[in-house]
Amino acid sequence: MPIIQTQGLCKRYQTAMRVDHLNLCVPEGSVYGFLGPNGAGKSTTLKMILGLVHPTEGTIQVMGRAMNAKNRLDILRKVGSLIESPSAYGHLTGEENLRIVQTLRGVPEKDIGEVLQIVRLYEQRNKRVAHYSLGMKQRLGLACALLGYPKLLILDEPTNGLDPAGIQEMRELICSLPERLGMTVVVSSHLLSEIDQMADHVGIISEGKLVYQDTLSALHEKSRHNLALRTTDNAAAQAVLAGQNVQSETEGAYLILPMLCDEAVLDIAQMLSAHHLHILRLEERQTSLEDIFLALTGKAVSL
Amino acid sequence: MLVCLALIAAQLIWMGVFLARLDEQDIRDGWMLLFYNLALVDAIMLPLTVAVLASRNGEAEHRGMTFKLLETLITPARLYAAKLCWGALMLCALLTLRTALFIALGAGLHFAGGVPWGTWALFTLISWAVSMMVYALQQALSLRFANQAVALIVGLCGSFAGLLSMLFPMWVQRCMPWGYYGLLLLVGMNWNETTHVTTFFWRTPLALDVGLLVLWSAAFLVAGFALFMRKEE
Repeated sequence: MPIIQTQGLCKRYQTAMRVDHLNLCVPEGSVYGFLGPNGAGKSTTLKMILGLVHPTEGTIQVMGRAMNAKNRLDILRKVGSLIESPSAYGHLTGEENLRIVQTLRGVPEKDIGEVLQIVRLYEQRNKRVAHYSLGMKQRLGLACALLGYPKLLILDEPTNGLDPAGIQEMRELICSLPERLGMTVVVSSHLLSEIDQMADHVGIISEGKLVYQDTLSALHEKSRHNLALRTTDNAAAQAVLAGQNVQSETEGAYLILPMLCDEAVLDIAQMLSAHHLHILRLEERQTSLEDIFLALTGKAVSL
Repeated sequence: MLVCLALIAAQLIWMGVFLARLDEQDIRDGWMLLFYNLALVDAIMLPLTVAVLASRNGEAEHRGMTFKLLETLITPARLYAAKLCWGALMLCALLTLRTALFIALGAGLHFAGGVPWGTWALFTLISWAVSMMVYALQQALSLRFANQAVALIVGLCGSFAGLLSMLFPMWVQRCMPWGYYGLLLLVGMNWNETTHVTTFFWRTPLALDVGLLVLWSAAFLVAGFALFMRKEE
């Protein structure tokens, strides 16, 4: 059963359709990467799932229950979230901030120390949050989300503003959560490489529409291998190849062929040579995830 | 806390300077003078003080971006009510302390008659009720607008309006939320143009004004609550 399921979810601001009939399906126990360019509607969608933004249309089910005013807080007791920038009172210490959340969530006090250990902030727990670095604030935000060990964790761009070491640390932490604490994690990002390293399922959103949703491995399978061939006369070579039932497409100075075995490549080379066509260059090419993302969203991907 | 102490200090200084100039005749009307002038000082100082208190209460959430966290833990209605309760308690503590200090001051200056405990209780209650009405307005603004300048400018204007409203006819005063510090005075004043003698007398606030105060409070509460509920994070 999916832990999150939306049906025809829409959010319209005046005339602008921010989220357009989104049918999201997050499998339980997965790390679901919610990927999309900036302004695609990721944060709005996650906020709708948390009830912070009211949908214009559509339904949301979380853990099999309809997300509405009646059920909302009951459902959210089992959901941890970190939306955009972390929420914390700067004049209080990290531990005091966690104590507020712990009291409101009604979870055991011992959880505070444990989550501080998990996010590696235990040593700095008595420092005022105003004196925390951005990375520490992000980790405190994650600690708040982890309090009570919710079944579902929703993290909106959790690595925003972190340095490379901080990104690596946050990524490892997120990846470890499903196995370590049995959580389902939904993590949004505009960075394909980040989702590629963290998620096992992926949803791609562009201009409010869900343009792809499947496992990450299925997305990888789409990244085909091709052969790029350049000859002394590409047009003539294409005609010769067509005669042998080898389909090719012209792409700039190259003919793009499907991936072939070594023997087939040798046959093609001999056949072209027999027609006095010489191979100038032969390369193996792969349609990258970036190319797929670009094709799906029509926008350049951030690496 | 500092805001509250600053208000009390300012009121003590203001009233201290005023009372130091009283002669023996004035001392006989000491309590009435104190109530009359304290209401005047309240009209000037409390609107801004209340605005600052409400602003501090709202700004903590805006600055820490904690609304989106808190609203996943409690209902927005509870959050709004909690903020309002905090304001009510702060104002209650502030005005009770203020009352205690001025009772001590009056007793120390040997004002004629005993301490009018009942009148002090009513005066404190009226100050609190009017301040709560203003607080409801200020909280609505402070929670709605992240930029606290909006709420603070309204508070500042309220201070001027509170003072100036006493110079206007009653119906104008009734139209200004900050004018109720003056409208609900427990002491009236007559100034004789020919003898240049001022006489003070006890008065009971009009039921109409009390009713209007309740209406203003309800309007600000409902409007502020509706604005907060419609706000999306």
